[in-house]
Amino acid sequence: MTPAQASLDRVTRIPGVRGALIASAADGLVVAEQLMDGVDGRAAAALTGSLIARLGRTAEEAGVRPPVFVQLRGEEGSILAAPGSEGLVLVAVVGPEANLGLARLEMLDAAGRLG
Amino acid sequence: MRALEPWVEAPLQSFLAESSARLTLLMTTSGQVVAQHGFGRSLDVMTAAALGAGIVASTEELARLMGAPRFEALVHHGARQSCMLSAFVTPRGRWIGLVVFGQETSVGIVQLFFDQMVRQLADAAPREQAPTPKLAENFEHDLDASLRALFGR
Amino acid sequence: MTDEIRTLTQRLADEPSSLAFLELGETLRRRGQLDAACKVTRAGLTRYPGLADAHDLLGRILSDLGDLAGAFDAWADALRFDPMRTGALKGIAFLYFRAGDVAAALDHLQRAAEADPDDPAIPQAIARVRRDAGRAGLPAVEEPAGPDRHREAPAPATEAAVAEADVAESDVVQAIPAAPPAPAEADRAIPHDSPFAGIAEDERGLLLADASGQRLGGEVGRHGMESGDRVAAQLAGLSREAARATRLLGLGGWHSIAVETADAHLFLSAPTAETVLLAVREPSVPMARLGLLAERAGRAARHWLEQIR
Repeated sequence: MTPAQASLDRVTRIPGVRGALIASAADGLVVAEQLMDGVDGRAAAALTGSLIARLGRTAEEAGVRPPVFVQLRGEEGSILAAPGSEGLVLVAVVGPEANLGLARLEMLDAAGRLG
Repeated sequence: MRALEPWVEAPLQSFLAESSARLTLLMTTSGQVVAQHGFGRSLDVMTAAALGAGIVASTEELARLMGAPRFEALVHHGARQSCMLSAFVTPRGRWIGLVVFGQETSVGIVQLFFDQMVRQLADAAPREQAPTPKLAENFEHDLDASLRALFGR
Repeated sequence: MTDEIRTLTQRLADEPSSLAFLELGETLRRRGQLDAACKVTRAGLTRYPGLADAHDLLGRILSDLGDLAGAFDAWADALRFDPMRTGALKGIAFLYFRAGDVAAALDHLQRAAEADPDDPAIPQAIARVRRDAGRAGLPAVEEPAGPDRHREAPAPATEAAVAEADVAESDVVQAIPAAPPAPAEADRAIPHDSPFAGIAEDERGLLLADASGQRLGGEVGRHGMESGDRVAAQLAGLSREAARATRLLGLGGWHSIAVETADAHLFLSAPTAETVLLAVREPSVPMARLGLLAERAGRAARHWLEQIR
């Protein structure tokens, strides 16, 4: 198992996580993925990459450094993102019942080892 | 944005809104332009269409030599702008999309919404008999008429 | 160094595991030696991590240092180990009042009153919170049902009555800001026409923008309104981006975006379909708490929008 897959495996074991992937933030393309049925990895990678880029611009305008963790909460779940090094970002799609605190900790740990 | 056939407009407009593409060209594999956005001159449209169709044809020949299926898309990354060429099937035959985009978007977003546009085109295409092939003597006339339509003149 | 401090320091040096650190920490705090007090208390907590007294003391020290988020966490820890700890309940009530959450402030003061009905400072604090909330135009909070011991306390609260309370606890009560703001605070007072009037001391770190990316009120960033306009310009696009992402990934409409950076926590939400709100605080403020602040700010913004339309 590659380190990337090991990271994805740890994140997807958390209750409520429907899938996780590693994306290239600038391109919005999937690098590695571990997804349940019904989760569109391509869309998650592209849309999250675009969101992270825009949040980075917002943070810059607000005079702060780029995001290290993002939670986009929807009515029926959330998208979690933890940018790592070398332009990679760890993304998880989670349901409303997910243990967000645990997911966040695992993702921050895993993102630190990306790249 | 200009399109020769009205049913192309809505899917293309949606693609442009979501992808933030700077230039977009939809054409047949023989280089006949179906719709365009962002081009200022008809000469540029004709040139881009011819080149795009040629590149796709070359790439498909390359895939054939390699024994591989057709490539889904070809992306050229530039310093400030990038270009994507993708061939796709429509009820009206095989078309090619040429998309030029900048750093305000990403290839992932462009591909995501390009695929969505392809699905929407397939749904929107009228279920009628395909037009008969044009005679050569009418081709230049039809091309001029198409270019006038695409540039609103 | 006073004799008292010298004696306590020696006692602690002779017996590091003793609880003398509590008395030493409190003495240092009262003398204004806050850094030393903090150091002594934290050292004591490493030996006694479950001691509510120590967490309570740390809360008071951090509050004096101005680290209100740290004080909140320390008092919350104290309550975890001793839910009836009145010092922590009053401390948290003070912080909630500072943040403009009158209901939460009164709730904690009520719990403190139930835990220690003989403490005269608590009913005085309750009366003062209610009075100041009324002056600030904040929504009236109903008196709770059931035994209501603080009705027996003398009213109204006066400065003298507050000063008669225990020294440590009056630090908290007196720290509750009186309304209207003191003259020195006038420059920072929120304009009457601000979307966030009444919920915070000032509107820095809160920004409201419309759907076209124009600032409606508030300010963020280091350069005040100039940064605010640039940030506002980004918010409209962010809102559309968020809506698109949740929709296409089957998550319904978007509710909020929580962003952690090394320098700050950011929280975005949409008070109405045509507006976006950004709340920014230092990283020591837990994200969940920032979300509550944003929720309050959103309610205030909706009310303000209804008023001006």
